[in-house]
Amino acid sequence: MDVPSKGTAGGAQRTAARPPARTDVTVSVNGAVERIKVDNRASLLDVLRERLGLTGAKKGCDHGQCGACTVLLDGRRVNACLILAVTVDQAEVVTVEGLTDGTRLHPLQAAFIERDAFQCGYCTPGQLCSAVGMLAEAAKGRASAVTADLADDAPVLDEAEIRERMSGNLCRCGAYPNIVAAIGEVAG
Amino acid sequence: MTTPRVGERTGRIGDSTARPDGTPKVTGAFAFSSDLYLTGMLWGVTVRAPHPRAEIHGVDVGPALAVRGVAAALTAEDVPGRAVYGLDVPDQPVLARDTVRYQGEPVALVAADHPETARRAAAEVAVDYTVLEPLTDPRRALDDGSPQLHPGGNLVRHVPIRRGDPQPTAEVVVTGEYTVGMQDQAFLGPESGLAVPAADGGVDLYIATQWLHVDRDQVAAALGLAPELVRLHLSGVGGAFGAREDLSMQIHACLLALRTGRPVKMVYSREESFFGHVHRHPAILRYEHGATREGRLVYVKAEILLDGGAYASTSQAVAGNAATHAAGPYEVPNAHVDVYALYTNNPPCGAMRGFGAVQACFGYESQMDRLAAACGLDPAEIRIRNAMREGSAAITGQVLDFPAPVAELVRRVRDRPLPPQRSTDLRAMPGGVGGTTHGEDVVRGVGYGVSIKNVCFSEGFDDFATARVRLEVTGGEPVATVFTAACEVGQGLVTVQEQVVRTELGVDRVMIAPADTSVGGAGSSSASRQTYMTTGAVRAACAKVRDRLAGRDPASLGDEVIDATVEWRHRPTSPLDPVTGQGFAHVQYAFAAHRAVVDVDLGLGLVKVVELATAQDVGKAVNPLAVAGQIHGGSAQGLGLALMEEIQVRDGEIVNPSFTDYLIPTVLDMPPMSLDVLELADPNAPYGVRGVGEPPTISSTPAIVAAVRAATGRNLNRVPVRPEHITAEGLSVEAGR
Amino acid sequence: MRPFTFVRAIDADQAVAGYAREPEWAMYLGGGTNLVDLMRLGVAEPGLLIDVTRLPYDRVEEAPGGGLRIGAAVRNSDLAADPAVRRDYPVLAAALLAGASGQLRNQATVGGNLLQRTRCGYFQDVTKPCNKRRSGSGCPAVEGDHRNLAILGHSEHCVATHPSDMAVALTALGATVHVRGRAGERIVPMPGLHRLPGDEPDRDTVLDPGDLITAVELPPLELAARSRYRKVRERASFAFALVSVAAALDAEDGAVRDCRIALGGVAHVPWRAEAAEEELRGGPATDDAFRAAADAELAAARPLRDNGYKVPLARELIVRTLAELRDGTGADASGGTP
Repeated sequence: MDVPSKGTAGGAQRTAARPPARTDVTVSVNGAVERIKVDNRASLLDVLRERLGLTGAKKGCDHGQCGACTVLLDGRRVNACLILAVTVDQAEVVTVEGLTDGTRLHPLQAAFIERDAFQCGYCTPGQLCSAVGMLAEAAKGRASAVTADLADDAPVLDEAEIRERMSGNLCRCGAYPNIVAAIGEVAG
Repeated sequence: MTTPRVGERTGRIGDSTARPDGTPKVTGAFAFSSDLYLTGMLWGVTVRAPHPRAEIHGVDVGPALAVRGVAAALTAEDVPGRAVYGLDVPDQPVLARDTVRYQGEPVALVAADHPETARRAAAEVAVDYTVLEPLTDPRRALDDGSPQLHPGGNLVRHVPIRRGDPQPTAEVVVTGEYTVGMQDQAFLGPESGLAVPAADGGVDLYIATQWLHVDRDQVAAALGLAPELVRLHLSGVGGAFGAREDLSMQIHACLLALRTGRPVKMVYSREESFFGHVHRHPAILRYEHGATREGRLVYVKAEILLDGGAYASTSQAVAGNAATHAAGPYEVPNAHVDVYALYTNNPPCGAMRGFGAVQACFGYESQMDRLAAACGLDPAEIRIRNAMREGSAAITGQVLDFPAPVAELVRRVRDRPLPPQRSTDLRAMPGGVGGTTHGEDVVRGVGYGVSIKNVCFSEGFDDFATARVRLEVTGGEPVATVFTAACEVGQGLVTVQEQVVRTELGVDRVMIAPADTSVGGAGSSSASRQTYMTTGAVRAACAKVRDRLAGRDPASLGDEVIDATVEWRHRPTSPLDPVTGQGFAHVQYAFAAHRAVVDVDLGLGLVKVVELATAQDVGKAVNPLAVAGQIHGGSAQGLGLALMEEIQVRDGEIVNPSFTDYLIPTVLDMPPMSLDVLELADPNAPYGVRGVGEPPTISSTPAIVAAVRAATGRNLNRVPVRPEHITAEGLSVEAGR
Repeated sequence: MRPFTFVRAIDADQAVAGYAREPEWAMYLGGGTNLVDLMRLGVAEPGLLIDVTRLPYDRVEEAPGGGLRIGAAVRNSDLAADPAVRRDYPVLAAALLAGASGQLRNQATVGGNLLQRTRCGYFQDVTKPCNKRRSGSGCPAVEGDHRNLAILGHSEHCVATHPSDMAVALTALGATVHVRGRAGERIVPMPGLHRLPGDEPDRDTVLDPGDLITAVELPPLELAARSRYRKVRERASFAFALVSVAAALDAEDGAVRDCRIALGGVAHVPWRAEAAEEELRGGPATDDAFRAAADAELAAARPLRDNGYKVPLARELIVRTLAELRDGTGADASGGTP
């Protein structure tokens, strides 16, 4: 529609018409260095999907509200839909396609299959990237909202911790019990 | 079986079998409809009406066509074939011509070389509206003074059920009025499709849908093309839950592709998705239950209003379901039920998991609890006392000629050990992550919900599924390939098809061909029917192959190819009598029971579902792993309706079309679950299977609300339950909306 | 989204000078988790976007006079993980961790979070009137959908709430915000950064166009070591607050020596509960006193038709949080793994 429009003016301040600007960006994606000219307005998600053909990261809401677009940016999990591609110059991006080592599945990918941790699979790439990032955060001793003692620098990754830390990834099929089991298995 | 995993066995019927689409789904290689791409393709965008009710005096696409990069801009004038579509009643314009009946109704289409260009051009389409006062209260839909939204008036369907004594009396009578808010299917993968014009003048549409053939027939009619010129191919489906049973952009994408001669892709945004598909019917339910002092049901009276919104969609069938399930899985000799599905200017409503049975279940289960209290009985006990069993008659007079272990399901959830009374873990408290309570004002409650749901299409619908199985030797090995139009929507249908073939033919290598309309119809992946139906069809096709194999080892086929196609039907049903609502309307019933344990923070109105115990009869667990997944997922959606999910509509306009304001449960909201899966074979069904997907969605909602009532003593006659419905001082606002 | 020019600033002077060249169209870009969203919605339409995430403001360090100096570009998750924050200002770590999701916290910056704009649905829908978005166009929320909106300090022109959790904690802690503007550096206290809507709801803060937040400084505050954040929301995680409370309490021998209280989800600003604090200081640390203090604060509440439930919610939450701080329950008393 996008949005039903009653024809009122848009935002608080309308800009003078400008031509679409493009910027050169060099970014490592799943280990390969890409040099691309991106429209300043393009999100990292759109560039991954439309320009680089990496459609693993999904657009579930385009507003950072569902987690389906989660990728790793310099090792940290982020919502690719809210990141302008123009800002990731010189960064390293890993998508779900980059989790696989050759043909060998990442242990989380294998656990998701083993535990049937998805149904339609639309949220799965985001769940997986989020889980990879989440395990790294926990390994660094970062607390979560359910960590009993915020000063504890070695929180135990029990089920409640996994659930809270993964709560930014919605799964409408409700495969949550199996997602927790799969991640718990890999977290040890 | 709370943490199921793939089994060691060979992937036959009854084994926990890994999905063949599992590896592509975890590596990102699986192609959802939104992932499709063709060189030179255009992007299509829909221009939608901003008003819930308006007259259209003109649509000027000229300004849109003037935008550089725009290839086409279409209006109702450009629909070459039938101008309307609809699953049951063709009442919905492909593009609105002179009347707008809901906010977000499609008015025009634009295709351009870039989605941003298409969006910008769409904003340039000038539509001349006269805005009219919308009809938004379904209770007023049949009033004399209300506007008639369709030529036949505002009644989509009235379903009466009259059984037994028309003037029954009882020792104990309880009444109640209940309200169910509008729920959204909220699949994670918004609507999308890619239409590709073909050299023969036809079109190929790659689409995420639940029902390829009925989509095809509606698309072909609108395009004015012979059905064989419209070929639909299933692409990856990012969840469905009923929302893809109706058309979204199917016709639109094809119109644009045929007009431009180029492939056209359309993808809805999340916000547009809230406007772009039908929702669960909001309902107002008035109930009166009469029983003996011992708690035996004497009669049930019900009046249920279903707000169908602007177009009929599946409202007729939803009304039939609400009526035939109005008394629940209980024996009751006298019933007087009236269900009305109504047109309003609210968003159109149609199929969602549970389909009419969800609304009724919230009503009748709330009533059963009131009755239990009035009779001084335990809530589980009153359900057991009245439970249907094999041989019982439903309020439609239909006799259950299959196992109906309702009492057993209730006993099983009742007898599960309760979770520890008070967790020492503060995180387990209501609002735990917010640190909102350390046990102050926290009370526990236990509640029950029991569901009944018809499986397959009902009321005389000629429901069938087609399967073609080909057996050949490839690379020295026998390989079986299955061709169907049955839609894998995440439920694990492709796995089940493999399991059937392995079981029937003893062949390990099984390929599932992509689903498309090159084979006969499979019917819809809805109504908990697709495993039942396609299992039946594939098994029958395998039997035909086996006949032709005539005892030979499949490996010895050489160059011979055995190819068999079967169109398989379940046993016939019959329409409901239009006056009495009596009739053999349903193929099969499925049942589930939930026991919910909740902790409620009385001061803040927060609810923590501590545990959900479920028991469900699945006839035969074809893939126990997938059965568990369906029960988990259905329960989660029922939890959402109980505690948080509602499309808020104000004056016909959706005010919360986003995942910030339409909340669905996160992983942290999902409680531990215990699953008790019974396998009492239905002798009428292939392998004895019984539909699995819907019953857990239906019974989890009333179970959770009952538990909250038990904890708080509040009436809670509306779902979703909000904090202000629980907190004492907030009671004054409960009546709102 | 409208086309815009993108530049990456490497220091504050460059950023501020860049802004000054196109003050009508320029905006600073932090983590973007709010701004990019608003741009996509058409609510924000910058013509020049100045990326300030690579400015040298990415450290948390001890402030010259004690306390903590937090660079404006520090990501929310890094701030929550900072050992000094976790030890000395637990309310801040907890507020950060209660906000959004792990992914968003990894991206969002401190400066950006402070300037987060309201989640009011009318503000976010450009087809609707909104005084905050277009001055003078009207406020449909007053009569329309306002269940999530303000009960304190609102005006007939705007009933929006400030959505940040972090800002509530900073308000309780009395943080100061370091701002670089065209006229040089200045310091804005919290509360004081955010402003009530009045008849200018389009202005969220007292900052001038072009002002750049460079740091947030936390004062040395002994009582902050005993501080908590409690947040009421409609699902267990990943949701905005209906009401939240950030509080710190220094109580001894049954008396309140000092306290800090701020409320979230109730006003156009993170709401410092000064009336409640005043009522409490020097008085008994009893539940009754806590209740009286909450009532003193909430006496000013003017709930709208559908958000009256927030008043008892806020009262209850204040009382409980103070009681928890007094009794030392909470972190120590929680059981961890069941």
